[in-house]
Amino acid sequence: MTNPYEVLGVKEGTSKEDIKKAYRELAKKYHPDQYGDNPLKDLAEIKMRELNEAYDSLMKNNGSSNSHSSSSGYSSQNNSGSTSNDDYTSNNIYQSIRMDINSGNTSSAEQKLSSMNTKTAEWNYLMGMVHLKKGWQDSAYTFISRACSQEPNNIEYRRSFNELNSRNSNYRDNYYSRRGNDNGMGNMCLNLWCADTICECFGGDLISCC
Amino acid sequence: MFGYVTPCKMEMKIKDYEKFKAYYCGLCNSIKNNFGNLPRLTLNYDMTFLAILLDSLSEDKYNFNEFKCMIHPLKKRLMINNNEALDYAAFCNITLAYYKLMDDAYDNKTMKSKVFSIFLKNYLPKSDKAYNDIMMYTKEKLQLLNTLEVNHKDMGIDEISHVFADLTGFIISFYYKESSFKDDLYWLGYNLGKWIYIIDAYDDLEKDMKMNSFNAINSLLNLDNLDFKSFSTLIKPRIDFILATSAEQCLKYLNDLPLIKNEDILYNILELGLMEKMDKVFNKENIDNLKGVEYKDDKSI
Repeated sequence: MTNPYEVLGVKEGTSKEDIKKAYRELAKKYHPDQYGDNPLKDLAEIKMRELNEAYDSLMKNNGSSNSHSSSSGYSSQNNSGSTSNDDYTSNNIYQSIRMDINSGNTSSAEQKLSSMNTKTAEWNYLMGMVHLKKGWQDSAYTFISRACSQEPNNIEYRRSFNELNSRNSNYRDNYYSRRGNDNGMGNMCLNLWCADTICECFGGDLISCC
Repeated sequence: MFGYVTPCKMEMKIKDYEKFKAYYCGLCNSIKNNFGNLPRLTLNYDMTFLAILLDSLSEDKYNFNEFKCMIHPLKKRLMINNNEALDYAAFCNITLAYYKLMDDAYDNKTMKSKVFSIFLKNYLPKSDKAYNDIMMYTKEKLQLLNTLEVNHKDMGIDEISHVFADLTGFIISFYYKESSFKDDLYWLGYNLGKWIYIIDAYDDLEKDMKMNSFNAINSLLNLDNLDFKSFSTLIKPRIDFILATSAEQCLKYLNDLPLIKNEDILYNILELGLMEKMDKVFNKENIDNLKGVEYKDDKSI
């Protein structure tokens, strides 16, 4: 893997805050969604994946280098027992956040999420769901698509992401299908008229009345 | 910021179109009766939508009246009178217009808004005491929006549009604040307010970039200081996404409301009217030679 510091454009040993900042700046710049159908989109996607990987690995490493002071698991020095313990507690938190979201208590869910330091795919996904509930669709989209790129094989994330997109296009289709019909009609008439004119040029006639 | 929520005229039944016009004239008339003649100049379509939406949930019968309009003196027209929803919309129209003008006078320093806001001020205290909450809330939120627009560092587009969206939701749901569908109304308003805020910003993007004044989209999202042309093509899909999802949410909450009348008009506006406006704003450059006919008489009914 390439040097994560290089990918994020920061010096080795930079503080967590600065890494976060750098990541945010770059993520805004390379976020694939703003490219639409632009061919750059693929490139942006690759770049975004690299960014996410680098960011994740740095955030984890950073935890380990500071682990003398903090007792958080996730460091490589810790034995497997404590790691699974950490997983267990974070799973518990996610569980309660999901319950909050389902019961409509978005502010409590959001509070819990913002107090967490590790931004896993699930974290991004749940944050996206909270923002959706709040009507903040733009950031929800960013969070959910980040969750998808962190864990591309997760069906739940992928489904929410697709749903968001299809909701949007269903709404559009209704308008375009109605308006499109009118245009089609106009075009057909125009084509007929053109054909008629061309025929008349050559002395024949397609539509006798004009 | 106003005047984006309009019906898609070409897809409307004549009777619905006439009804829409009757609400519009009724709103104008209600402003005249409650506030005076000058504030009629602030009349706008968004508030017509508000009146139609709120009235659709009440069991009152339509009260049509034939009259002759001063501005269009030749033809007789229909308007709706004695309608509480219309009076409420008239009040909101004036309140929003007044505080918006105050803001403009404060930060743009244009002569027009300054003079106008001074005039309008005289009319405002005449309004009903029961609606004092609305006035306070509007004032507070528009001021907050102003401060946020000055200190917008590290803010997302959702965050800044939240203020106006919330205000719209509040205004729409306040009228039925005791009812069971209050929340649906609030969220319909929230999404509509957001839609208005963002489409307005996108519509003004070129102008604001030229004048170097605040524009939510430019100031928050244009981190690389691109010029208008490249920035607008870059940001278009993202703005398009926000607008379409907000509009789609409006429609979703409309579905949940126990509508009694005006159903076709409301669906026309939220399903087709908003999309038409988006189409129009997004394709500003090449609209003239394509669909000129149907847009030309858009302004005056």
